[in-house]
Amino acid sequence: MMTTDSLGLYVHIPFCVRKCNYCDFCSFPYSGAAWRDEYISALCSEIRSYSHKKIRLNSIFFGGGTPSLLTSDEFCSIFAAIQDTFEISPGCEFTVEANPKTLSKENLDAFRKCGVNRLSIGLQSIHENELKKLGRIHNFEEFLDSYNLARSFGFNNINIDLMYGIPEQTIDSFRETLKTVHDLSPTHISVYGLIIEEGTPFYKSLDSLTLPNEDIECEMYYLAADFLKANGYSHYEISNYSRPGYECRHNLKYWRCDEYIGVGLAAYSYFGSRRYGNTNDPRVYLQRDGAKYEYDEVIGLTDAAYEYAMLGLRLAEGFSLSDYRKRFGEDFYQSRSEIIDSFIREGYLLIENDRIFLTERGFYVSNAILTELI
Amino acid sequence: MTEKQQHIRNFSIIAHIDHGKSTLADRILEKTRTVESRNMEEQLLDNMELERERGITIKARAVRLSYTAKNGEEYIYNLIDTPGHVDFGYEVSRSLKACEGALLVVDATQGVEAQTLANAYLAIDNDLEILPVINKIDLASADIAGARREIEDIIGIPADDCPAVSAKNGLNIEDVLEKIVTDIPAPKGDSDKPLKALIFDSHYDPYLGVVVYIRVFDGTLRAGDKIRLMAQGSEFEVVEVGTMEPFGLKKADSLSAGEVGYITASIKTVGETKVGDTVTHADAPAEAPLDGFRDVHPMVYSGIYPADGARYGDLRDALEKLQLNDASLVFEPETSVALGFGFRCGFLGLLHMEIIEERLEREFNLDLITTAPSVIYKVDLRGGETIMIDNPSKFPTADEIQTSYEPIMKSTIITPTDYVGGIMDLCQERRGVFIDMKYLDTERVELHYELPLNEIIYDFFDALKSRTKGYASLDYELKGYKSSKLVKLDFMLNGEVVDALSFIVFEDRAYSRARKIAEKLKENIPRQLFEIPIQACIGSKIIARETVKAMRKDVLAKCYGGDITRKKKLLEKQKEGKKKMRKLGSVEVTPEAFMAVLRLDDDN
Repeated sequence: MMTTDSLGLYVHIPFCVRKCNYCDFCSFPYSGAAWRDEYISALCSEIRSYSHKKIRLNSIFFGGGTPSLLTSDEFCSIFAAIQDTFEISPGCEFTVEANPKTLSKENLDAFRKCGVNRLSIGLQSIHENELKKLGRIHNFEEFLDSYNLARSFGFNNINIDLMYGIPEQTIDSFRETLKTVHDLSPTHISVYGLIIEEGTPFYKSLDSLTLPNEDIECEMYYLAADFLKANGYSHYEISNYSRPGYECRHNLKYWRCDEYIGVGLAAYSYFGSRRYGNTNDPRVYLQRDGAKYEYDEVIGLTDAAYEYAMLGLRLAEGFSLSDYRKRFGEDFYQSRSEIIDSFIREGYLLIENDRIFLTERGFYVSNAILTELI
Repeated sequence: MTEKQQHIRNFSIIAHIDHGKSTLADRILEKTRTVESRNMEEQLLDNMELERERGITIKARAVRLSYTAKNGEEYIYNLIDTPGHVDFGYEVSRSLKACEGALLVVDATQGVEAQTLANAYLAIDNDLEILPVINKIDLASADIAGARREIEDIIGIPADDCPAVSAKNGLNIEDVLEKIVTDIPAPKGDSDKPLKALIFDSHYDPYLGVVVYIRVFDGTLRAGDKIRLMAQGSEFEVVEVGTMEPFGLKKADSLSAGEVGYITASIKTVGETKVGDTVTHADAPAEAPLDGFRDVHPMVYSGIYPADGARYGDLRDALEKLQLNDASLVFEPETSVALGFGFRCGFLGLLHMEIIEERLEREFNLDLITTAPSVIYKVDLRGGETIMIDNPSKFPTADEIQTSYEPIMKSTIITPTDYVGGIMDLCQERRGVFIDMKYLDTERVELHYELPLNEIIYDFFDALKSRTKGYASLDYELKGYKSSKLVKLDFMLNGEVVDALSFIVFEDRAYSRARKIAEKLKENIPRQLFEIPIQACIGSKIIARETVKAMRKDVLAKCYGGDITRKKKLLEKQKEGKKKMRKLGSVEVTPEAFMAVLRLDDDN
């Protein structure tokens, strides 16, 4: 059997010290998770279910939750399952998400030994009041300790997550966060706008939050883009910036519609023209029966074209019009030339060298543009 | 007068809104034992759901009751209910014409109000014997003596021995019933003379066709008779005659002078039987019809569109159904660039319009978009022709117009003296011409103004209510047309005129209205990917402008693998939302935003 090449693997670790006030990801407080051992063994058996498929990975991403909460033994046993199941390409990008205060000599050492070569640390803000509002467990000093510790272990490819639109945040405080983080010269910075999701503590206390208004939020978005670009980062995806060559290979797969496998609670896969995903209910996941997924859909040509454009346009590189034509047998530009031309005239969209992509301005209204285009 | 005629009493109940007309009607039905009280649904005469909810009567209905008086004799009472709003003034007058007397209900806690007076005058104009009834005497704040005094002083009819009742509690209703026998005259008329019967109402029945409600003045009418409607000139053969009993129609052999009843004659639409027309025999016609016939015309027009364009056919069917029972509703297809296919509808007034809109939405489950109501303007063109304009789109350009005219209403406002200043300011602002002011007593004043109808339909009721804490009442009727400098105000979005937003306005008002609506458009049009200039203009002259800035943010910040399905759903939802949008030129707005712009509120 042929080896399926260059896949990404996502591993979901649904544990956190506590849940942040804005978080709607699938995670649970670690201390209360009596089912931790069970979870890890279920996860390993899900990983092993791919063993007959001869898959080679060139990216692995441990996300969560807080994967850095895993003990060294736990991490190593999951990695052992991965190693037994998949072929790992030389130079495979291997990312682990971490929160400040959860990195230790012990787990950093285990990460190193297992081949982890990229860390993604959630900082969000350098300001104590903003971190408190978000419900984060750390302050900036504690982040610095973790960051420096990671650097001392040889982790040089590090992403720092930042956030704007935080309650009480101001343009000035955000600028300070950007500057301070830039001084640490990480290879990658993600800058997310806070979204108040239903079911989160923020959603419940929405009325009492002093959120920056839309205009300020907007200014923050452009501030980040201008500042980081002026300092040598490329704005390669709506919310992501990196030093040249340090784009997150794993995440690019999502946006380029490449294949990936997701394992663990609430993890999704796009593999073999199917998109399938696990339940977000731990009880259901722990009793899952091998190949059954809560969500399972064959992505036909129409859906695939839709997703290709929707996701591709999140990237600064956009997508290739000839590649689109090859994949889907349709000329993306010809079939919507009038609206595309009007977006180009307004400076939202560009077509250059066979690629169509959003401008900086276009990024920030991408939903409105996408609803017109696809 | 025949023995039979001597035992007939034809009467109406008239009152200001909420003074208890329908409740009194219920008690009368109950006390004449026509209706068992425990079986009776409240307010039987108001038989439309909407009427009951609003506590008002929209269409007249009549009912025949029998009453055994204290003198031992049995009387037939024909109780003719009347619509209770200013929009239906003509119908009220025809209902009254069918009677010899009227019970004038006055709320003991409120006294005489604008419509009490207006209705009393209508009754007097029709030579009716007015029998005052003071109601709501069970309430702590009832002032019976005060109400009597007001009736005598303001209306000028004796009230010293008039019944004082509580319709709600059924108190002293017998007094009213006895007074009807003694005070209200029996109908005159000669059953052997040529037939003269007044049409005072009609309704459509799917089995019988149009059921025509009549009052016979002279002559006798039987099934099989060939009749002529004198104003219309149309002829029919009577299929059935009968009387309106509380629980339905009852066939009879004949209807003769003094009687109230119905006829059916295979008539297909209520529009063929105009209220106020005279029914006579085709082969032995009366010399002249009863006087007072008037062809009623709509006074207020508005465009009605389905919010979902696909329901145009449903809207047409619904309007046709409503028209079966409402000859005063007129409509014709209209196309708007902004709103698609809809109808230009004519109404007797604002209340009539609201009722129709509400019935369309409620009974036919339609979501509507309605354009701003417009009155009918008259324009003399330079070419010598005169045209009537019920739609802003038909308004000629400035250089075609010789003179333009607008309808002026003779308006009566009754108010506690405290609010006179505020009302005068309001009328002044609304271009009212003061006629006179009368003190009804030490606390209340009757003001007469001539007000342009176009100002009245522009939120006048609400403005009056807010300035008088709801204590003032308004009544009006058409006085005539007056020359007035009128202009058509257009609105442009992105440089394109949005026809549905255009309206005709008094020139001096144009600037303030233009500014206000431009601001409202700005508030209500969601930001889009392009900047949208809003311009208000008269002809080619721009008199107000605003800008909706381009949208700055519409983005889903994070998007991981698993989010793709969710993100797709979000986008699809956003696209669904767009489908419901109305295109105003190149600009998309929600139907809600459109209505918000059209909703008339505040002063100016």
